[in-house]
Amino acid sequence: MNDQHLAVRGASKRFGTASVLDDLSLAVARGEFVSLLGPSGCGKTTLLRCIAGLLRLDAGSIAVAGRDISALPAHRRNVGVVFQNYALFPHLTVAQNIGFGLRAQGVRAAEAAPRIAEALALVRMAEFADRPVTALSGGQQQRVAVARALVVRPTLLLLDEPFSALDRKLRETMQVELKHLLREVGITAIFVTHDQEEALVVSDRIAVMNAGRIEQLADPATLYQRPASLYVLDFVGQSMRLGGTVSAAGLGEVTVETRLGTVRAPGAFAPGSRVVVAVRPEAVTLTETPPGGRNTLAARVSEVSFLGSRTQLHLDLPAGEDRGVVELPRLPPGIGPGSAVPLAFPIADTMVFPAA
Amino acid sequence: MKRDPLGLLALPGVGYLALVFLAPLLLLLWSSVRGPEGWTLDGYVRLLGDPYYRGVIAASLQLALITTGGALLLGYPAAFALARARGGWQVVLFALIFLPLTVSIIVKSFGWGIVLRRDGILNWALLNLGLIERPVRMIFTEGALYAGMINVFLPFMVLPIFAVVRMLDPRLPDAAATLGASPWFSFRRVTLPLSLPGVVAGVSLVFSLSVAAYVTPSLLMGDRYMTMSMVMAKAFLNLRDWQLGAAMAAVLLAMALAVVVGAAALQRRLGGR
Amino acid sequence: MERLGRWLSGGALALVILFLLLPILVVIPVSFTEAPVFRFPPEGFSLQWYEKIGRVDGLLGAIGLSARLALLATVISLLLGTLCAIALVRGVVPGAAAVSAFMLSPLMLPGLVLGIAMLQALREVGLRDAWWSLLLAHVVITLPFVMRTVLASLSLFDFGMVDAARTLGCSYPVALWRVLVPNILPGFVSGALFAFIASFDNYPVSMFLVDVRTKTLPIQLLNYLEISPDPTLAAVSTCLIALTVAILLLCDRLVGLRRLAPV
Ligand SMILES: Nc1ncnc2c1ncn2[C@@H]1O[C@H](COP(=O)(O)OP(=O)(O)O)[C@@H](O)[C@H]1O
Ligand SMILES: [Mg+2]
Repeated sequence: MNDQHLAVRGASKRFGTASVLDDLSLAVARGEFVSLLGPSGCGKTTLLRCIAGLLRLDAGSIAVAGRDISALPAHRRNVGVVFQNYALFPHLTVAQNIGFGLRAQGVRAAEAAPRIAEALALVRMAEFADRPVTALSGGQQQRVAVARALVVRPTLLLLDEPFSALDRKLRETMQVELKHLLREVGITAIFVTHDQEEALVVSDRIAVMNAGRIEQLADPATLYQRPASLYVLDFVGQSMRLGGTVSAAGLGEVTVETRLGTVRAPGAFAPGSRVVVAVRPEAVTLTETPPGGRNTLAARVSEVSFLGSRTQLHLDLPAGEDRGVVELPRLPPGIGPGSAVPLAFPIADTMVFPAA
Repeated sequence: MKRDPLGLLALPGVGYLALVFLAPLLLLLWSSVRGPEGWTLDGYVRLLGDPYYRGVIAASLQLALITTGGALLLGYPAAFALARARGGWQVVLFALIFLPLTVSIIVKSFGWGIVLRRDGILNWALLNLGLIERPVRMIFTEGALYAGMINVFLPFMVLPIFAVVRMLDPRLPDAAATLGASPWFSFRRVTLPLSLPGVVAGVSLVFSLSVAAYVTPSLLMGDRYMTMSMVMAKAFLNLRDWQLGAAMAAVLLAMALAVVVGAAALQRRLGGR
Repeated sequence: MERLGRWLSGGALALVILFLLLPILVVIPVSFTEAPVFRFPPEGFSLQWYEKIGRVDGLLGAIGLSARLALLATVISLLLGTLCAIALVRGVVPGAAAVSAFMLSPLMLPGLVLGIAMLQALREVGLRDAWWSLLLAHVVITLPFVMRTVLASLSLFDFGMVDAARTLGCSYPVALWRVLVPNILPGFVSGALFAFIASFDNYPVSMFLVDVRTKTLPIQLLNYLEISPDPTLAAVSTCLIALTVAILLLCDRLVGLRRLAPV
């Protein structure tokens, strides 16, 4: 069995002088859900359009199930796409939209009808079959778009920010619902999103994109706990990060002098290097006398945000590369804006990156 | 609630058109059925009973159909190319289509005459290309009339279609392609149906303008090709036969109204889906 | 296949533009010819036909008359049309849809029918003065152009913006002036431009209303073409084309050409 269902190799794409995809490679296993996560304009949609055949790569190749499809036009690729804002055909009904691909492929009406009905049932839109798509709510439009893409049994499903048009509450339901539905169908899917929480919810692995390249491709836990770069650290989740200079190094550990004190972390940097140390907010506790194996720092609170199940402390740090967010399950009494707090966090959970 | 004073601002304009536009039209219709001895259908009887006038009506309709068809054939693909043109180019191309609309119809018909004369530009070009050996007679032929009519009314076809096509979501053909639709299939099933409102607008506009055309046919054909408008003008100005002229005016009016109302109904159906 | 479609439509566009411009562009070289007939290619170079414009009986007068007529009709239409559009968009007008269809309807009707109807009605009420008849009729011609564009830009205008301006410290009239006027200005300008051109070029309505001493430019041109066709006509046409291009460029500067789209 070929484990690599989709293989993008050395993909490059320029628009005029702007390089939008830069020697990008990506491998996705069969049945896997991968998210393409990155800020607006980093080239996610462009990559998706190249995979779908709506754009030609300038260099590189795209293979699905071991077959190079780089030269095929979009309508021969059998790659399903759920477009951003769905691109439903406004002149057709729900059922006609879903049946469009079957009809295009010359499937006879008698054979198409049950497949359309099945797709309608799959997305729970059966009673809307004869409605015009313009009369649907956002969530319903999304379901139709998904059904339309799935009914032709594509080898791969691409979804471009499929939840961005939905309000927050609906988005959360639809994320889980869609993930479940696609798992049931057993399809390989790529989600594009700029929302890190959404990426964490829907995908098996996440590819963090930066300026036309994939910065890191990993499962959500690895991405969160072991980000490969400052960029990934910042893009996925929050953190406390402090710039500093390595003062001592040895045995897979460095000592870094920061604005708030000395920090030790696993890593290898030459003394004198400019680095950034970082720790995830939930690894930090407020104790003056912590057990061993921890860094301790002293900081001042600038703002407190109550988030329900947890409380965030924002630390008073000068603007610049330093950023301080600490998360506590419960706010200890007497702490508010202006309080001095002692911070402690495990050395093992402390990350070091070369300064940008 | 008090009467809304803003609504009263409509009165001067509406009143003006009612007096200066609607009343004269009604008067004209009334006089088409009102003879010296009371009610009469004499004008209509003479108009529709006379094979000559029936021929004129048929010729006008034929001219309008050919003009509309020719303009659609040329204008539809051109509108797509215009919609696809990028930024600066689109403005320039748009201006080039738009400019002829603002140039006097007399100037255009006159220029068209220069193009088609025996010693005009077209004969000159064909001679120099070696395609013909001696000048061909083109002016005062029906072909020249059709070309001239299409020339005058073509922008009225291109611009409404362009206005619709420009707004089409460019991802719709993309979506069709990812569903396995060939470009031809996606054109027939997606682009064409969605562009129909523009086509209906363009066709009704060109048809109603060209069925009533006066200047172009009289300049390009003189008396050789009589249209309804020409007969009507002649009835009023030369023959002083008001009964006949008014009847012809009523027929023209009815046609124009039928096209407008029909187009509006069609638009509603297209839009209602 | 897709590429074929692109080629075909691109070719059609090129053909359309060439075809549309041909009769307009040919008159320019012909206006500079030395020969007294329109022959192609034109022979020699002279400005004699431009000089002759002033000498041809009634041509300059007709230009002046048409310009005055078009200007006045446009101003009156702007006034009537804007008031009516405001009423239709902001006020409560019974049967507003029908009223706006009525206000636009002169656009759809054959001009010749309109001209005859006006002629008959004006005779009926005893108005025989050609200038006043022309003005009355030309306002009917120009009004729908103004209505259409002003109506469109007013209905696109979000009157919430006026409220926003007022919360930011503008009085109601100042808010209208700062927010509403700049937004509907393109509608105004393009409506006025079209109204002017429609009146200036009008033939079928005017032909019934002119008299021997009061002739508009299109009527005079057509007369001249029938009596003594010589390149003077090409010279006048070239001037008209230059004027149109100048107006279009000016409007493009003011509001952007694409917003002028008439249909
Ligand atoms: N057809 C195009 N022509 C020129 N530039 C484009 C085109 N499509 C996208 N771009 C540019 O490429 C970059 C990446 O765009 P896109 O892939 O849409 O980003 P994303 O989907 O990640 O937000 C952007 O800077 C965008 O402006
Ligand atoms: Mg995008």
